[in-house]
Amino acid sequence: MEDALIIQDLHVRVEGKPVLRGVDLTVRKGEIHALMGPNGSGKTTLAYVLMGHPAYSVDQGEVLWKGQNILELPPDERAHLGLFLAFQYPVAVPGVTVANFLRAALNERRKRLNPEDKGIPIPEFRKLLREKLALLGLEDSFAARYVNDGFSGGEKKRLEILQMAVLQPEMAILDETDSGLDIDGVRTVAEGINRIFNPNMGILLITHYQRILNYIKPHFVHVMYNGRVVASGGPDLALELEEKGYEWLREQFVEQPTS
Amino acid sequence: MAAETFDLSELGTYKYGFSMPERYAYKARKGLSREIVEEISWLKGEPDWMREFRLQALEIFLRKPMPTWGADLSTIDFDDIYYYIKPTDKKSRSWDEVPEEIRRTFELLGIPEAERRFLAGVGAQYESEVVYHNLQEHLRKLGVIFVDTDTAVREYPDLVREYFGTVVPPDDNKFAALNSAVWSGGSFIYVPPGVHVDLPLQAYFRINAQNVGQFERTLIIAEEGAFVHYVEGCLPAGEQVSIGDRWVNIEAVKPGDFVVTETGRKAKVRAVMVRPYRGDLIEIQPVSRYNTFRLTPEHPVLVVRRETVRARRRARGAWLPEVDTAQLLQAQPTYVPAGELREGDFLVFPKVQAEGYRPHFTLELLRLLGYYLAEGSAYIHRTLRQPVVAFSFGEHEIRAIEEVKRLIQKVTGKKPQVVHVRGKHAVTISVYSRELMEFCLEHAGKGAADKRLSEAVMALPPEQTAPLLEAYFAGDGNRWPRGSAELRRIATASETLARQIQELLARQGIYASIRVRKGGSDFIQGRRIHRRDQFILTWTRGRRMGEVRDAGDYFLVPIKAIRRVPYDGFVFNLDVEEPNSYLVRGFAVHNCTAPIYTTDSLHSAVVEIIVKPGARVRYTTIQNWSTNVYNLVTKRSAVYRDGVMEWVDGNLGSKVTMKYPSVYLMEPGARGEILSIAFAGRGQHQDAGGKAIHAAPHTSSRIISKSISKDGGRTSYRGLVRVYPGAEGAKVSVNCDALILDEISRSDTYPYMEIEEDNVTIGHEATVSKISDEQLFYLMSRGISQEEAAAMIVTGFVEPLVKELPMEYAVEMNRLIRLQMSGSVG
Repeated sequence: MEDALIIQDLHVRVEGKPVLRGVDLTVRKGEIHALMGPNGSGKTTLAYVLMGHPAYSVDQGEVLWKGQNILELPPDERAHLGLFLAFQYPVAVPGVTVANFLRAALNERRKRLNPEDKGIPIPEFRKLLREKLALLGLEDSFAARYVNDGFSGGEKKRLEILQMAVLQPEMAILDETDSGLDIDGVRTVAEGINRIFNPNMGILLITHYQRILNYIKPHFVHVMYNGRVVASGGPDLALELEEKGYEWLREQFVEQPTS
Repeated sequence: MAAETFDLSELGTYKYGFSMPERYAYKARKGLSREIVEEISWLKGEPDWMREFRLQALEIFLRKPMPTWGADLSTIDFDDIYYYIKPTDKKSRSWDEVPEEIRRTFELLGIPEAERRFLAGVGAQYESEVVYHNLQEHLRKLGVIFVDTDTAVREYPDLVREYFGTVVPPDDNKFAALNSAVWSGGSFIYVPPGVHVDLPLQAYFRINAQNVGQFERTLIIAEEGAFVHYVEGCLPAGEQVSIGDRWVNIEAVKPGDFVVTETGRKAKVRAVMVRPYRGDLIEIQPVSRYNTFRLTPEHPVLVVRRETVRARRRARGAWLPEVDTAQLLQAQPTYVPAGELREGDFLVFPKVQAEGYRPHFTLELLRLLGYYLAEGSAYIHRTLRQPVVAFSFGEHEIRAIEEVKRLIQKVTGKKPQVVHVRGKHAVTISVYSRELMEFCLEHAGKGAADKRLSEAVMALPPEQTAPLLEAYFAGDGNRWPRGSAELRRIATASETLARQIQELLARQGIYASIRVRKGGSDFIQGRRIHRRDQFILTWTRGRRMGEVRDAGDYFLVPIKAIRRVPYDGFVFNLDVEEPNSYLVRGFAVHNCTAPIYTTDSLHSAVVEIIVKPGARVRYTTIQNWSTNVYNLVTKRSAVYRDGVMEWVDGNLGSKVTMKYPSVYLMEPGARGEILSIAFAGRGQHQDAGGKAIHAAPHTSSRIISKSISKDGGRTSYRGLVRVYPGAEGAKVSVNCDALILDEISRSDTYPYMEIEEDNVTIGHEATVSKISDEQLFYLMSRGISQEEAAAMIVTGFVEPLVKELPMEYAVEMNRLIRLQMSGSVG
């Protein structure tokens, strides 16, 4: 299964507390999967664990991608395998411009592929960056700003998608990319994602609300609750969830206390 | 006066090194006393007032206790320091008058070239006294004075006396008193009213001997409406070529790596330096065109000048023996700047010593490896899934074929398969042996273009590599008789192998030249084929190669051609431990850096600056002293009506730095700015900051400090802002940020504010941060390695300050920070 991200029986603890309790999920290239669920169900934890955040300890399970279990790899190596995470709360890196940051990221990847690589020529990089900025309706001057430093919520989310556009991952996890955006913001970002999406790429779209799914049509929808994927289905599942609310889940999937 | 004249003590000297034998005209006794101070003054021929000034300062120094605040200074032993070393009796203006030895040191520092390029004037301090000082003519015409301070005392006594010690009086602090008592050298700059000096004035300082204090005294006076930018520091010279036994690109070398030096042995790289350079490079082509290398004109190259070894004999008949071989072999190679080299001068090509782990190889294995280099291939047979080592020969190479068969039998105990392909006139010998396949791959590489010898093979002594070389040659070489001698040639598609064979042959006493035959498309028998670059080694047996001479540990190789080629880009330089040299394409060139000694040295300078009404002075320092230096400097300026003083102060080196550039804002409208960057690594304490004294209304000051500590280093921000009563409308802004890279490092902030006026605007912000896991994770999730991510966060942190530096300093600063960061992970 070269073309799929396969999560098998993933158990994760945060500060000793179990947060993921056996997640199973498979995302293939060319597919968009929406992962929904109430706050605290473990969605962001899953995103962090997939990307390799050092604070999470995996108790059990595997994440297979390109024929290997990636859980042992540091985040940079996962990125070089084509994995990407759009953060829910991206951090600021003062003094480092968006352009320099992206160029460094691109060059590191080129260097891993070919140690002799001298890096992307600057004119070529400029052209690429301009093109991608335009795709997201951003001004050229955006590239000269310091990464997430003093950015509005919307700007931060757009920068995440800009990075995805430039780095062209094969498997992207988008963690609540729609949160903190007004309705126009959601539309612009969603249109950007739609344009970046291609058959050689899979997307795991984590969202709390259904509204971004008005713009991005998922092939599959999964519902996460209390550290597990409790329901999977087609796009209709999202609508059903919207209609019935997360309370409905709670009634259905609340664990029966064992004696 | 007990002057120990011509003390030829051999402190810190070595063969052709950078630290010249200390042939000082005078070297004072260690320690400090009234007599020593009087001696210094007497030797300098100073007027009485200066002698009195020194003696009074000495009393203050002896009286004042050591500061109990700030960094730990308890290990300074004032009795174990030479307070004055006078390198020469005569001071000179023209380069030629500078004594040879000192001139060489300066040439090694690259000063004359630097001056020609972009500096208006250079003052260079060789230990205590400035011996070379030159100022461009147009500045002189403008009335600008830029001389060493000793000269200023003699030639401009009234000016000096009026200002000397007025901004930093001897009783200001213990180290200002020490400097006032024993000061020597430093720069004196006077800029007349309204004159703008556009180019930065620059000075170089270095501490050359052990236990020598350097106590320079700088005095800058900018008259009304004048402007000057003074830059202090050391820009390294460099070049952009490959180095070392394995020949890596110079930009890929990191501190801590080992490179081969002029002795043919390895030494550790202490630092790597880079700077932007626009100008000519010198391209030196020795016998062996492939070994051509380029460097900047001031970069010292180890040579024997041809003119020093010319035969005295007259021409006899038609031929004129140009070089006396006996003289040449006895000549001591010296370092000469590349720009002064001439065709025919002899470069030094050291025989790289075999060092490192030496496993045992049998004679048979070594010969087989030689044949493998020439004709072998090692692989897993696809259909049989068997490890194979195969050798291909022409059917006429009977001796080689028989030997390889015998060697295989002996080494593997298996009978080789021999296939004679008659149509191609070829013979293939192969054997299934995992051991042999792995051995060949490990020690000789795979594929014609990627054959290379392992470190273990390169570490073998010459008697063991001889059979390998013989077999390699027997398999692939050609020979042509040349009279009684024989010309030999061997070609390979592997550049690495060509270099390695050149090195191994050198150890056999053979200098082989390499030339490159460019590859490309070609038609052979109607078929289009792509041919790789071929590296062709040529040498002679039984006769010398041209004028190349074997001098035992090295070859002397004449320069065939020298060209100047324009260049615009970065140049690099290495700081290598003794003997302070490295090899560029096999040839010895010199380091360029401040030498590091094991004994602690003391640098205690005083800088006084007077900024008259409407004038502006900027003083930039990037301090990168050796990490055994105590750097205790008092820098202060007095700023008058509407004047502007800017200090830009970068502190990266030294063991301890205590430095707080100050602005005394004496009249309305005066403005002061202090930008301070400090980086403390292992064993370093950077106690730095700034002082702003508002003594008049409507004055403004801004202090920005950024400090970084790692590997147990310690930074302290120490700042004082004082607003005197009546200084109404004063504006103060203090901003200090500290970044701590690991758990064992430390940063403190000591901001003092003494505000005695109500009507003022004060802004103060201080942050201490650590590189956060979240930032590292964020950058790494984009494919950036942890080390690079940490370096990125740090350069981002200092970016607002680095922006203020002149371009070449900004580049240097970033480079230095990256160097400090390399190998560390947040």
